Amino acid sequence: MSEPKIKPEIMRMSWGPQHPMSGQTRVLLDVDGEKVHKIIADLGFTHRGIEKILENRTLLGGIIPVDRMAMVDSANISIGYVTAADKAYGLEVPERANWIRSLVCEMSRINSHLYAFGLQAEATGYFPAVFLWTTVDREILLDLFEELTGARWSFNFFLPGGVHKDLPEGFKENVIKGVQYLRRRFKDYWAAIVENYMFEIRCNNVAILEPKDALRLGATGPSLRGSGIDIDMRKDEPYAAYGDLDWEVITEDACDVMARTKVRFHEIGQSLNMMEQIAKEIPEGPIKVRFSPFMRAPEGEYYTRVETGRGELGIHMFTDGTTNPCRVKINPPSLRNMYVFERLAELNEMTVADIPVVINSIDPWYLDSDR
Amino acid sequence: MSKNNINDFISSVQKTLAEEIESVEQTNDNYVSMVVKPDSFVKVAEMLRDKFGYVIPVAAGGVDYPDENRMQMIYYLVNPKTRFTLTYRVNVSRDDPRLPTLTTVWDGMSFHEREAYEMFGIDFEGHENLVPLLLPPTWKGGYPLRKDFKGEGVE
Repeated sequence: MSEPKIKPEIMRMSWGPQHPMSGQTRVLLDVDGEKVHKIIADLGFTHRGIEKILENRTLLGGIIPVDRMAMVDSANISIGYVTAADKAYGLEVPERANWIRSLVCEMSRINSHLYAFGLQAEATGYFPAVFLWTTVDREILLDLFEELTGARWSFNFFLPGGVHKDLPEGFKENVIKGVQYLRRRFKDYWAAIVENYMFEIRCNNVAILEPKDALRLGATGPSLRGSGIDIDMRKDEPYAAYGDLDWEVITEDACDVMARTKVRFHEIGQSLNMMEQIAKEIPEGPIKVRFSPFMRAPEGEYYTRVETGRGELGIHMFTDGTTNPCRVKINPPSLRNMYVFERLAELNEMTVADIPVVINSIDPWYLDSDR
Repeated sequence: MSKNNINDFISSVQKTLAEEIESVEQTNDNYVSMVVKPDSFVKVAEMLRDKFGYVIPVAAGGVDYPDENRMQMIYYLVNPKTRFTLTYRVNVSRDDPRLPTLTTVWDGMSFHEREAYEMFGIDFEGHENLVPLLLPPTWKGGYPLRKDFKGEGVE
């Protein structure tokens, strides 16, 4: 990291990676008193070279490192890779498998948004208990994951051409019970936190991202939809079963931290509706197609885009007729949003105390931005 | 993005930019790949942004073809009106990989060009802050995503 000369009245301070709200990254702040003039993100603390690792694995073996790109949202990340592998092998995924994929993805999205919301409440400094509440509520989802896939985290559940297992007996009823419980909890969260005066003064009119800047800087996911632009890959390019489900894209026009928080909040509501619909209407049928792990993908290139909890993920897979892909380019959402975060200080007046609130409203996940 | 729109886009590109591009084709499903001649790299990028509406910078990255002694730099762009992805490509020589930066056209490409710089060794002329993004500042192990990278000598 080069450190250019700075003016004498401006101090450069390091925020993270040991700061409780920063996660595995370091952010350099140029501050004049309380005011932040410039943000410089120093990424790469968790760089593992996943793109290189994937070149040395079979298409099937690649699911495991990809799944670890974002632990809290692993289903949404791995579905991008698996959809690209489906295309590379030319596999037709059965309808029931697509519905199960959507179910797991929506559960993963709620898990991810709940985590983000808990951190957001904690970052404001007034609601440290909320992170514990959301953690307890995430248990409902983790139990469902365990029942379905056998693992609570990082479950490698998707296969090219389908999913590993069918829904176990009684699973649909458990999903509906979980949905009803979470709906009740969200009413509490809304009243206790989102409409709380203390939360509002920390979040309203902070870090405004105008729609034109959001597009120009490449914001994605809730950061983009919080600026009123309704781009969502599930609608624009339906994968899995999203074309058959009833739901709508959530946008907010306020463009500030509160708008991004509300987008996540309403998206949880949409995801709960989808979970309920899937549990009630899932079609019968096979859950995977016959597939050999050492199958060779024909030479070509395949690009897929999916919507993760943090935004659009692109997987560009190049195959050369062997069992391994010859290059996999991963376009992660958090890298794009981190750049937006870096530039927000130029677009807004911001103080050091705002930094945790703002970085959590962007919701970066460094394991996925660093790969 | 419907098939018609893709065909319209391809034919309009073939008409207006025939001199500047090497090829434009539909790769799979909904994506168009466009390979541009290195001389008109920035000019066509500006046209894509202003005339064809590709204002969202998604990502950029390289692909290494050691047998053909070239690398390909790929920029992923999205048009917010049609929601349609374009991969904008340019070939560079492996011996002296140099390109003018596209951060002047799409601000959000900054991080992605820094990543391509450290991973493939492509030098982006005119980039304001071309320093490694993910690798440690003391890295001396070569360019990790090139095909001839063996991981030897890395501390």
